[in-house]
Amino acid sequence: MDIISQLQEQVNTIALLALNTFGTLQRDAPPVRLSPNYPEPTTKLSEETINIAEHPKAMSAALVEAAKKFDALVSALPLSGEEAQLKKIAELQAENEAVGLELEKQLKAAEQELKQVQELFHQAADNCLNLKKPY
Amino acid sequence: MATSSSYPPPPPYYRLYKDYLEDPKSAPEPPPPIHDATYPLFGATYTTDVVLPSLEDQGVRQLYPNGPNIDFKKVLQSLNRDLQLHILELADVLVERPSQYARRVEDISLIFKNLHHVLNSLRPHQARATLIHILECQIQRRKQAIEDIKRRREEAQRLLKESLQTLDGHQP
Repeated sequence: MDIISQLQEQVNTIALLALNTFGTLQRDAPPVRLSPNYPEPTTKLSEETINIAEHPKAMSAALVEAAKKFDALVSALPLSGEEAQLKKIAELQAENEAVGLELEKQLKAAEQELKQVQELFHQAADNCLNLKKPY
Repeated sequence: MATSSSYPPPPPYYRLYKDYLEDPKSAPEPPPPIHDATYPLFGATYTTDVVLPSLEDQGVRQLYPNGPNIDFKKVLQSLNRDLQLHILELADVLVERPSQYARRVEDISLIFKNLHHVLNSLRPHQARATLIHILECQIQRRKQAIEDIKRRREEAQRLLKESLQTLDGHQP
């Protein structure tokens, strides 16, 4: 995939990761104590509640990884100025024209020689036929 | 004609080409390409001027400075850093003042829109680079073809000379 599409994909990936991070954390977060008037909420210790503490680490690591990959892709962009590109295109067009003319010349000359050789071949074949004595 | 039926028939222009095989001139010419005009397509109007609309046209604030020559790499990297900072801010806001998330989310989506707009405005540059690549490939192919033709011609000349010598050698 070309690098600009990769960059666009990476932007969308970062968006997706951010969305998943916040969504998962908001969905799975244990209840929190709002004010000293209310008792501490009862959290039953199960396997899921224990594992929840590792989610933010993994997800934020993935987010930072994605951002680093984006930066790497950006620094790999082969950028050059617009005028430099236009100049190069004009040069290449001129060279293409010249090379095209040369190719046409060679082609014409080769076709000419081909015709001559075919003519000679015809004559030689005719002579051969004429020289062969009928039985 | 039948622009809004669910299974419209094909356009009736085929009748004009009934005698095309006998007389190619009896049929009308193909319509000329449209120049600088608006045309309707599937219910929407389009113009022939295909250009990326600027962010102001879409009503989106532009976060990076817009000069004649934009340093794309720097802009992209600074937007990336801004994005990370805003995500962190959003996490903070959700912990401290959860009701104020809307502003932060809006800022994050603004940054994303700017990012995509910058990437879209890189496409013309990519098109020119592709054109350069195509031209270079074509020049190389043509040079190769010239070399091949030269080689074959020389070989043919050599063979003719050899055969001439052989024939001369056989003559009494």
